[in-house]
Formats: sequence, C-alpha cells, structure tokens
Amino acid sequence: MAELDTSVADVPVTAPPPKRRKVHQEDSTESTPRYDTPDAKEGQDGKDKDDKSTLRVSIREQQRESPSASRSPSPKRRDNYYSSDHDTSRISRSITRSPVSGDPTPFRTPAADAGVDVASEPPQPRQPTKPNFKPRLILGGHRKPISQVRISPDGRWIASASADGTIKIWEASTGRHIETLVGHMAGVSAVAWSPDSKTLASGSDDKAIRFWDRVTGQPARSRPLLGHHNYVYCLAFSPKGNILASGSYDEAVFLWDVRAGRLMRSLPAHSDPVSGIDFSRDGTLVVSCSTDGLTRIWDTSTGQCLRTMVHEDNPPVTSVCFAPNGRYLLAFSMDSCIRLWDYVSGQVKKTYQGHTNAGFSIGGCFSVVDGKAYVTAASEDGDIVLWDIKTKEIVQRIEKAHDGVCFWVDLHGDTMVSCGQDGKIKVFRHRGPVEECSMAAEAATSEVPNGTGDSTDRAAPEAMDVDQDQSRSISPLKTDAEIKNEES
Amino acid sequence: MNLLLSDDYLLQDYPENITNTIRSGHTTCLRFNRRGDYLASGRVDGTVVVWDIETMGVARKLRGHRAAITSLSWSRCGRYLLSACQGWRAVLWDMADGKRYREVRFRAPIYTAELHPWNHHQFVASIFEQAPCLVDIAEPIDVKHILPSAMKRANTDADAATKEKQAKEDAKQQTTASIYTITGDHILAGTNKGKLNIIDVNTHEIIWSEKICSSVVTTLKLTGSGRDLLVNSQDRIIRTFNVPNLSAEDLDPDTIQVPLEHKFQDVVNRLSWNHVTFSATGEYVAASTYNNHELYIWERGHGSLVRMLEGPKEEQGVIEWHPNRALLAACGMETGRIYIWSVTSPQKWSALAPDFSEVEENVEYIEREDEFDIHPQEEITKRRLDAEDEDIDVLTLEPQSKGYDDDMDGTAFRIPVLFNLGESDSEEEFVAVSTGTVRRRSLGEGGEGEAAQTEEKAVVGGKRPTAGKTGRGRKR
Repeated sequence: MAELDTSVADVPVTAPPPKRRKVHQEDSTESTPRYDTPDAKEGQDGKDKDDKSTLRVSIREQQRESPSASRSPSPKRRDNYYSSDHDTSRISRSITRSPVSGDPTPFRTPAADAGVDVASEPPQPRQPTKPNFKPRLILGGHRKPISQVRISPDGRWIASASADGTIKIWEASTGRHIETLVGHMAGVSAVAWSPDSKTLASGSDDKAIRFWDRVTGQPARSRPLLGHHNYVYCLAFSPKGNILASGSYDEAVFLWDVRAGRLMRSLPAHSDPVSGIDFSRDGTLVVSCSTDGLTRIWDTSTGQCLRTMVHEDNPPVTSVCFAPNGRYLLAFSMDSCIRLWDYVSGQVKKTYQGHTNAGFSIGGCFSVVDGKAYVTAASEDGDIVLWDIKTKEIVQRIEKAHDGVCFWVDLHGDTMVSCGQDGKIKVFRHRGPVEECSMAAEAATSEVPNGTGDSTDRAAPEAMDVDQDQSRSISPLKTDAEIKNEES
Repeated sequence: MNLLLSDDYLLQDYPENITNTIRSGHTTCLRFNRRGDYLASGRVDGTVVVWDIETMGVARKLRGHRAAITSLSWSRCGRYLLSACQGWRAVLWDMADGKRYREVRFRAPIYTAELHPWNHHQFVASIFEQAPCLVDIAEPIDVKHILPSAMKRANTDADAATKEKQAKEDAKQQTTASIYTITGDHILAGTNKGKLNIIDVNTHEIIWSEKICSSVVTTLKLTGSGRDLLVNSQDRIIRTFNVPNLSAEDLDPDTIQVPLEHKFQDVVNRLSWNHVTFSATGEYVAASTYNNHELYIWERGHGSLVRMLEGPKEEQGVIEWHPNRALLAACGMETGRIYIWSVTSPQKWSALAPDFSEVEENVEYIEREDEFDIHPQEEITKRRLDAEDEDIDVLTLEPQSKGYDDDMDGTAFRIPVLFNLGESDSEEEFVAVSTGTVRRRSLGEGGEGEAAQTEEKAVVGGKRPTAGKTGRGRKR
C-alpha cells in the first residue's frame, strides 16, 4: 500500500463527466467511524426520525405477520398490503407513522409487544413463505456515500465501496469491522469478490482497479490494473476467478487476466459509460449495460457481441445481472423499471415496477428465500423493494432503509445488505414464519443492537443471543490516525 | 451457455487458423485436462507450465524435474498431474498447492507415463529399454509391478532350441507406449516390434497380442468414448482401430478382435508423423509431420484428408486436440512455442443492432395488420405489461448434455488463482518472452507473469530482433 502508483496522478485530470451515482458530500458530520446505534443517535434530529421509522416499519410488519394479527382477516389482505404499488405504499407509510409516533416508546417496551405476540398461539403453517427481512445491524464508518456493497460468495464477509475512496470489509454475521482498504485516490464505484472469497477487486474514479487480499488487508498485487481511460464503474469476476471484467466511463469493457494482471481483451462495448457488468454462471458469457440504453452479451472466449437488447423507449440501463441459472437477465433502467430479459429470444419477459429510479445508478439482485426466487432492488427514495419473479407483485418493501438514495442491495441466503447516500450499511435478516413468533419477543430490542442490554430473556434462540452478545463487544473502528498509519 | 446464442460455432468442427501463440521456455510436451480449461506443457528444462486456456496465461509453474519432460497425464478430477522426464523420474503434482504429491524414480528415461483414468494413485509407465511398470503410489513408498512386453508362450512341448529362440525374440520386445482403456481395467501397450498388447491390470498378464504394424509404435491414443484407438508408428502409417469392450462380463481373451479401421498416410511424399491426436469426438485425426511444417487433418468417416494447416515456419512436435472444442495445440520443435489453432467466426452484425436481421436474400416485407395503428402510449404499456404472464424459472438449471459439464456445479476441483506467478520467473525466462512483453508494458504492467500471448497479427512482429528486448529485460 505504501507505493501508490503515481502515474495516475500525473495524468492531467480533465473535467470529469457528471456521474450519476457519485453524489457530493452531504451531512457527514460524524467523521469518526463508529458503530451506529439508535440510542447514540438520540440527540440528533431529523435523521434519527427516519431510523426510527425503519424500526417502526419492522414492528408494524411484525404485527402484521404474526399470527396474533387476527385483525387482519385473511392472508389475502396481507398480500394487498404488500403488493400495493409505490404511491399507495407511500400513503400507507405516512399513515402508519403518525399513530406510532404518538406512542412514546413503541420499541423500548419489548414486554408489551412480546405480550401480544408470544402469548398468541403458534403460527398456522402458511405454505408460501414470503421474504420477511428485518433490520439487524447498521454499520457506519464511511465518510461519504457508499456506492456498492457486496456479500462474499461464502456469505461471511461484506465489502463496501465508498465515495470517500476506501473499501471496508465487515463480518456479515456480527457486523464487526475487519479492514479498511486505503489506496485509491478517488471514490470507489465498484467492488467484486473473487469466487473463493479471498480476494477483492475494486474499481475507482482514479481509473485503477486494485486487488486486495481479504485476509491480510494488503493489496494482493503490488500494481493496480491500469488501462481504462476514465472512471472504472463496474466489476465482475468470472466464476473461476481467472478473469475480471470491468466496465468504465470510457465506454469500453475490459477483460483482464487476473493472474498476470494483463489486459486480455478490450471490447468497444457502448457509446456511453458502461454502468453494469456480469458473468454468466459458466463464465462463457459477459453481459454489459450502459446508459446508452443497450444491454449487450459478449462471448468471453472470442470477445464477440452475441446479442444486443434494447427496450423501445431506450431508457438508460444502470445495472445488469444474470439469473441464477443463467437463462435470463435482470436490467435496471432509469424509467423506474426493472426488466427481465430472455436473452435468447431477445424479449422482455417481466417488468417490475414500484421503486424509483430516475437519476442514479442503483442496483439489486436476484434473491432466493426459502427456495423461491425474488427480485430485490434499491430505490432512490431509500426503500428496498422485493418482487415475486412470476407475479411481479411487491412482496416486501423496506421503507426508508436509507436517508436519501439507497444505491445497492446484495443478498446471500437469508442475509440482505444495503448501502446508500447516507454512508451507512444496513444488514437485514430474513425471518421465516416459524422463527417469527419466537423472535417477536426480542425483536424490538435486538433487531438493531442498541447496546443497552436490557433484554435478559435467555429463552430466545441461540442465534439471537449471538447477535446480541457480539453486538455489545464490537471493537471500535479504526480511527483516522490509524488509517493514516496504514497509508504511510 | 454461449451455445444458446450462436449457431456458427457448430458449423466447423476442426480448427483453421492460429488464434494464439503462447510461450514459456521451450515446450516439448502438451496435454489438456479432461474439462479442457487447462493445458499442461512440459519444457526442455524440466519445468511444467500449466496454462489457463480461457486467459491464455500461465496458471501454475511446477519445478522439480531437471531434464526434458516426455509425458504428461492429468487425473480425472484435474487436481493431479503426472509428469515424466528423461531424467528417470515421474512426479505427481498436486495442483492445489503446486507441490510434489509423489515422486517415483526409475532406472532409465521414461517414454510415457499415464495415470489410471479413475484412480490417481496408479499409473503405467513405458521405459527406455526396460520392461514397462505398473506403479502403485497409494502409499508414499511406491510399489512397481513389472509388466511383460511379450506374450507368454503356451507351447510347452516345443524343443529347447525353439524355446531359446523364442526367448531371444521376446527379450527384444520393448514397450514404447502404454495407455489405459477407458475403464482402467486393461492397459494397451505398443512395442518396438509393432505389436499391440492388451494387459490385464489386476493379473499383470498379457491377455491378447497382435502385430499391428511393421515398426515401432510411438503413440497410442483413445477417443473420449474409448471405442477407437489411434496408433502412430514409425512405418509412416497412422492407423485407427475399433476397440472391443474389454470390461464385458463374458470377455474371452481368445475371441478378442481389434479390427483395423483406417490407414492414414501420405503416399506421395512418404511423410512420417511426429505425433497424432483424435479430435474431441474422434471424428477427425490430426497429425504433425516430420521434417515438414504442415499439420494434416483427416476425417474418419471416409478416411479422407480434409485440411492441411500451414502456418508457422517450423516443424511441429506434439499436438493435442481440445477435449470438447475445435481447438488444437501444437508445439514448435525449433522455438518451443505453443501454437493454438482454432476457428474464428465473424462478428454477426445483427447481434450489435437488434432492429436488424441478416438475411440470405431479399425478403419481401409484409406489414402486420395493426403495424401502423396509433394507440395511446398508456394502453400500449398496459397491454405489454399484461402480456408478461409467462411462467419464469430463474433457478432450475438446464440439464447439461455433454459429459464434461457433469461437474459444473462448483464442487469440482479448481486450480487456485495465483497472484505471485511473476515472482517465480527467472531472468532467463523473461528474456525469452517475445512480443507479449511489449504489449503488456504499454499497459504499465511489466514484470508480472510471463504469459506471452500474442494475437495472430502480432506473430508477424515476433521476428523482431530479440536483442533489444533482452536489453530491456536486463535493465529492470
């Protein structure tokens, strides 16, 4: 890390084109990275209201989901509630907010909630389990908005790339901060995990791609990959980890030999910045998308374009990924639509609507919850939205997960991670209907670690204990001084 | 998955032109692994280099031999690689850490060493002027079983003089090539007198033997199915045989027949063949020529010559056909470069512009009844969204048709991706790199790795004097 490549600095920095995802520094008054708890934010205004609203949402949903909610007459009604489209859901939020805010301590009194939830009889077996993600952790430390957050393939680590030029690695289960990777000289737009979860690649506005060793926190390669003429904006590892695909503001897609750090192929891909890139599961195809509205599929071995997909209205596409089986593509476009393409026939099979995406490069992914697939996406109003693949209905909406824009959501198993303009990372965990009931008692206190430790109820499941204990023993993040030490 | 999108891949199934030239030292020996994503190459200096076919870069370097590599063989899982050298030893390498897993010493140079197709703890070696060996390396101390090269005589009633004569004859028989059958139950061995022996792996006895050619058998190869045998011999004829199912329950050694299918030869030039290989499916046979630059490709259905590949101005040694693609690797005898022959399909322009389609001839356009009807935008959108009622499955994997995909679920062994390959390169090797160096440096990437990939165009530039590059290499 000591030797930073100065060649980048020597390149005359021309007036950078406007970036969609890059947002100027906002209210980052808390420069010291720390672990966020709702309690700690007590004194602040405005912001914590939204945080509270997140919590309220969780509670509200819990009551809805819990069997005790005999008020909701049928599951049908729940469906209606969730599948409400964007506008109505907004209304519903504003409605729910006012009565809850009238309640002085809605989530400080777990006993009250527990009394309602636990006392009720165990849940009837509901056949289709819906995604039911509950907030679990809030990770703070980045001083600027976070552009991308990714869970490692083994599910153990979270990597976040921020406009402050650093990448941070977190432990997914506890939220413990593991490492801050410093080396980029400009904001970092993209991170990608190697398939073995041991290496991290990062792409930055300094036009460089760097590899990091997850174990040591040191650069895995002494020199960054240089070659892009403009911001590196998106990255993807091949399934074998031997090729890295990168998309840049210079409108090209580069394929790199990871071992040698050598540029294998440069694809003159688009006529606008390349905004998203992904590999198919067998590594033979690369898909790239751009704000020119095109989504292109490339043959990895020959570098030829095999298919181009464009929607009639030609909306800018901001992110793209392959379906888990590789037969479909999910393209996020800036007309607030997510389209599922069958790339063989070149047809749109599904259009998912209900989120807001008009000005930023936001991302999402396919998610599998209890063996069923969903589409998960971030939204510019700070929400996270999950759709049923087949019915296109919204099955869960996590409202106000972030202040401002929520940029990226990633899922692995039951864990969901999101990041946003507020410089925070939120970790959510799916709770199945069986867990739901036993969880409910503790949910209010343990969903988000608040450090008070007032809950001494040991009857909760093991997993919950772990969450609580570890949340209390979280090590403080590195101070600025430490970071400087690393740099020198 | 790219097969879903392209049709022209399947049009031609034999390679046509050089798509890559890769080089690391002077290569003498080549072998693809079963899935075809890695190519092992053995060098004159005893180093084994494993190439990643996807990146055409070095994936691993294995050092330990001190003499030229003569034979390479992969285990089925792709984790172990057996290499044999002229320096009397064979090494089984573990690809997970790049270390020696087993080492076996012999008393002479090794012609071939072939791993058992299912059990990487057993291999068969044919040795220079010695009896072939079946080597069991399950334990760190290897156990060698001597295999016969000549059939046991049944005529016990022959007189002493005949016996002596026969014994002399038998002693002259030496096994020069040996491979396992596809099940691993038998060994096919060729001798210097042109005999083909079938040896039972368990009893170590020859169960069948026949003279199939008039001179030394130099190469034996089986197709992926194991039903066809390719034999190269110094009598300038390449032969293919049909191999019966030797693992059948009711196998009677007396009724075994290995019928000759084709003879391939160049009757005009009387060429002799350096090395031969089957294509992925066994549909084609390719051969490199002795004292000549061309590679010959015959089609096996009719036994006709379909192609002579002309390219590099040097004689080609060992050639290897990719196990599932129309890709051929050949190593040059003089320079030690590895030439990758493959097919290049032209870019389809309709793929870049979805509104256009390529047609063979003019087509009269018939407009749809409602093509130019004007509808309100909302209605169109609504209609479109309503039409999206298909059942979509994003999780179920399509069944893989080909056998080599059977381990695509991620459980198969993968060679770890190394970042520090460059550090292990010696100065001498770096100098040997030709055009690839130039290109890499322009990207600010000097000194890391030594994969000398050059596009076809760059091959022309490869003749530039290496002196300048040598100087630059030393300056570092």
